[in-house]
Amino acid sequence: MSPAERSQRWRASLLWAWALSVVVFMYLPALCLLLASSTASRYFIFPITRWGFDWWEKTFDSIQIRELFKTSISIALIVTVIAVVIGFFGALAFARYDWKGRSLYQKLVLLPIFFPQSVLGLALLLWFNAIGLPLSWKSAVFAHLVWIVPVVTLVISIQVYSFDPALEEAAFDLGATRWQVMKEVTLPVLFPGLFSGALFAFLLSWGNFPLSLFTTGADTTVPEYLYAKMVAGYTPGVPVLGTVSTITAAVLLLGGYGLITLRRRARLK
Amino acid sequence: MTTRSPVIDLRQITKRFGNFTAVHSIDLSIGEGEFFTIVGPSGSGKTTVLRMLAGLESPTGGDILLRGQRINDVPANRRPTCMVFQSLALFPHRTVGQNIEFPLKIRDVAPEERRKRALQLMAQLRLPESYYGKNVTKCSGGERQRVALARALAYNPDILFFDEPLSAIDYKLRKTLEKELKDIHRETGKTFIYITHSLEEAMVMSDRIGVMRQGRLVQVGTPNEIYTAPNSKFVSEFIGDVNIVPVRLVNGNTLQSDELGAQFVAPPMPSGFAAGHLVVRPESLRIIERREDAENALRGKLYNEYALGSRIQYQVRVGEQVFIVERLRQQALGKQRDSDVLIGWNTADSILVGD
Repeated sequence: MSPAERSQRWRASLLWAWALSVVVFMYLPALCLLLASSTASRYFIFPITRWGFDWWEKTFDSIQIRELFKTSISIALIVTVIAVVIGFFGALAFARYDWKGRSLYQKLVLLPIFFPQSVLGLALLLWFNAIGLPLSWKSAVFAHLVWIVPVVTLVISIQVYSFDPALEEAAFDLGATRWQVMKEVTLPVLFPGLFSGALFAFLLSWGNFPLSLFTTGADTTVPEYLYAKMVAGYTPGVPVLGTVSTITAAVLLLGGYGLITLRRRARLK
Repeated sequence: MTTRSPVIDLRQITKRFGNFTAVHSIDLSIGEGEFFTIVGPSGSGKTTVLRMLAGLESPTGGDILLRGQRINDVPANRRPTCMVFQSLALFPHRTVGQNIEFPLKIRDVAPEERRKRALQLMAQLRLPESYYGKNVTKCSGGERQRVALARALAYNPDILFFDEPLSAIDYKLRKTLEKELKDIHRETGKTFIYITHSLEEAMVMSDRIGVMRQGRLVQVGTPNEIYTAPNSKFVSEFIGDVNIVPVRLVNGNTLQSDELGAQFVAPPMPSGFAAGHLVVRPESLRIIERREDAENALRGKLYNEYALGSRIQYQVRVGEQVFIVERLRQQALGKQRDSDVLIGWNTADSILVGD
């Protein structure tokens, strides 16, 4: 082996070691969660002495847990729909049209993202109380939107920036009505952006804790429950729920990515 | 050209954006079936004129008439006109076929009929049939031009607009596409209104050319008229290499150039002419042996030479000014740099213009 080859090989193995350590660092916690959930004992003891899936069974049978999922999914779905609609029009104003006050609008829209979420949650709680809004998962929808709409607007804006305005003009010039332009050109061309916006909205709402903590009132979301149980009353049901929640998010993300890829493949022959 | 009945009439068309006047009271009549090109440097307002004709901008003042009907307020989607955009604006999420069929789909034409028409247009524009299902973003520059043109033709407009569609294409392909476009114009008999910043491109294709400068239409004429009788220094320079000498009238028909310290015989001049520019095209300027060989002559030094393929361009320095002389390659001069040369032209080959 020549010295050049040896140094080549050395560099390649360093690269692999680095990549592997990053992967381990990122995914080991998720793995630990899975391990912690697979114990048959009542407490968190490591290394695990007795293996079992009793807690998985218990978790899935629990009516309370089902309620949690129902609440979290309801909030996430409603937030997704509203955030994508508002984000779509917001992104058009953000990136497509040039108007007076646009630069101020661009800054104002992004401001809520930089607010610490717990502060934002508290502020919203005070605000809801002030206007006398009863707290429930519905008020949490509103709270989530305050933080998620800016993110979704930004995500869709990235797609809008690469959108050639001449496409709309061309369609209009070729006889399409404004509505047909929207349906046949604007929406389909921006679809990947809308889709990623929707994914972001769902996942951010699904995993959100600080805003929910202040604004759900008597209702409880999955992250809130997990936190409460960890603070007081830990059972291996916590890692079970954590694992399920993570898997749900991952499946959604990978599924969405797969769908986009399939769609693109079908188009590009 | 004047025998054609007008299809488009612009009456004192003006467009202002805030305080900026992009188009300044333009009057223009374009004939049925004409290939008309508006040419001008960027920012001259030519694209704004085209967008007003297409209905994508509305004029601030004046009227646009289509076969005598005022169409100022008719939106683009209800005008029998169609534009090929500079970016081509092909729909990236659709195939070649779907792009071409778009205007037909909007009109609810049956899928079978649409397909038939699209394939017909593809054949006319020399796009292989196999491209029907091809992703439009995978097509080459020239193919995309053809798809854009086919899509515009599928709309079956009376007038087609072109907003510099060939500006991003390399020279050789551009020449091919210019010829194809002219052929399509002939085959379809439709009115073509084309925009470019290249007068050379305009010359090749157009029946008539309108030259724009700073929002005004400064000259309208056939390519030959624009070339041989430019009405201003601006138009004469726009065509390409040209020799321009600032002159003033000293008596009767004698022109004085103060920079060169020489006098020339004046060609026919605009009435009331006092001072302006004498224009001589490189191919009208000759390298002569004796002063008597041409009606006007100047002595200079050979500065440089450039091979242009079939022609050779010589640069001759006279005082501070460099004159350009063009000759066929067969008549190459064969002189050393810095050798003395005599250049001259006949008065009839020169043009006198204002600014």
